[in-house]
Amino acid sequence: MMKTETSTAPAPAAFEPRITAFVCNWCTYAGADLAGTSRLQYASNMRIIKLPCTGRIDPLFVLKAFENGADAVLVSGCHPGDCHYTSGNYHARRRWTLFRKLLALTGIGDDRLFFSWVSAAEGQKFADLVNDVTAKVRKAGPFCAVHPGRRAS
Amino acid sequence: MKALREAAEKLLREKRVSLVIGYEDRKGRPAFFAAKPEDCGRLAYDASCRQNLAAYLGKPEIRARLPVAVVAPPAVLRSIVVLTAESQLPPGQVLALAVDGDSFLGTFDAAGVAELLRAKYSTLAPEPALLERVQGLLQKSPAERAAFWEAEFSKCTRCYACRAACPGCYCSRCIVEKNAPQWISTAALGHGNYTWSVMRAFHQSGRCTLCGACEAACPQGLPLMLLNAVLDREALEEFGSRPGYDPEAKPLIGSWSADDDHSYMR
Ligand code: SF4
Ligand code: SF4
Ligand code: FES
Repeated sequence: MMKTETSTAPAPAAFEPRITAFVCNWCTYAGADLAGTSRLQYASNMRIIKLPCTGRIDPLFVLKAFENGADAVLVSGCHPGDCHYTSGNYHARRRWTLFRKLLALTGIGDDRLFFSWVSAAEGQKFADLVNDVTAKVRKAGPFCAVHPGRRAS
Repeated sequence: MKALREAAEKLLREKRVSLVIGYEDRKGRPAFFAAKPEDCGRLAYDASCRQNLAAYLGKPEIRARLPVAVVAPPAVLRSIVVLTAESQLPPGQVLALAVDGDSFLGTFDAAGVAELLRAKYSTLAPEPALLERVQGLLQKSPAERAAFWEAEFSKCTRCYACRAACPGCYCSRCIVEKNAPQWISTAALGHGNYTWSVMRAFHQSGRCTLCGACEAACPQGLPLMLLNAVLDREALEEFGSRPGYDPEAKPLIGSWSADDDHSYMR
């Protein structure tokens, strides 16, 4: 009689990144909505937090996300010139240009912190972006457990 | 030293100021407040003075005693220009007793300070050793950088000496004290310490003059200048920002240009 071997060890759970997205109400959120109503399939790893404008996204929000379990953060809003409040995204852009370098010095680099412009008409771009970001974070692995910015569990 | 004391004494005698904020002639060169002409013999200055006396200009106790004079090496002169640009100094109420190394350069008003900086210190740059340390850290892997800061931030006791020492930290209510909601944990533990130092440095971007007072004040010896320096370098390279030279400068964060770089945006 043949003896069939069955492995009792559970397969190691694949790493599913948790990605927090801070998006503005008028462009990227509408773009995400369009991706949904167009029934585009994309990775389900992103948790979207909607704010009025990228100008409202304080760098503290990003740190809070990393503190509480995010493996990566995406910040996204209207294309330059298209901000619903005229210049919120221009203000935000300066902030991010500086802030990303500060975070890089502390070990949070380009593979965990993403920025994009996605308009209300760019449902496809949003879906592609989520897929691409998710793939990159999957490759980068879980956010380093010893990072000082992470809340000790 | 003699010239500095005489100039300070003259200002007080002529009642042009009611207080001279300087460094005292004793070990550690602590801050000294000369209110009477005869106090001025206790003033001293040399390269070991690391406190940025411009930080006092935001304090209500000093505000109540304007006009005042401040003993100011180049980085402090720049802080005075930053505070002027941010409308934090009532016009004509602050004089600088400019010093550099062992020499006394004279008494200057706000316009004179900007003039002196342009004429004599237009090429002030961060210490090469500091930039090398930043570069060295950036060459490490993200995990190594995280481990480096984990070890450093775990020492922080949240005494806020870094904040008290900085002329740029003049908010009457600091973000770290806001508690509804509480954005930054005030427990002296990992993530709160990290967020505190990162946000403290970030709130100085485009405003920090790299005076070094925050790091010098930190009783735990945290390398805070690394955070300040990386922001300073980026502000200069990306936006040509050199805080502390132009008393009419717009704040770097709070202004924008349609041409700002966004090559990292997707
Ligand atoms: S001075 Fe040093 S120990 Fe005190 S709060 Fe600042 S970083 Fe922490
Ligand atoms: S943050 Fe900059 S300006 Fe403030 S004390 Fe530190 S080095 Fe000086
Ligand atoms: S409303 Fe979208 S960035 Fe300002």
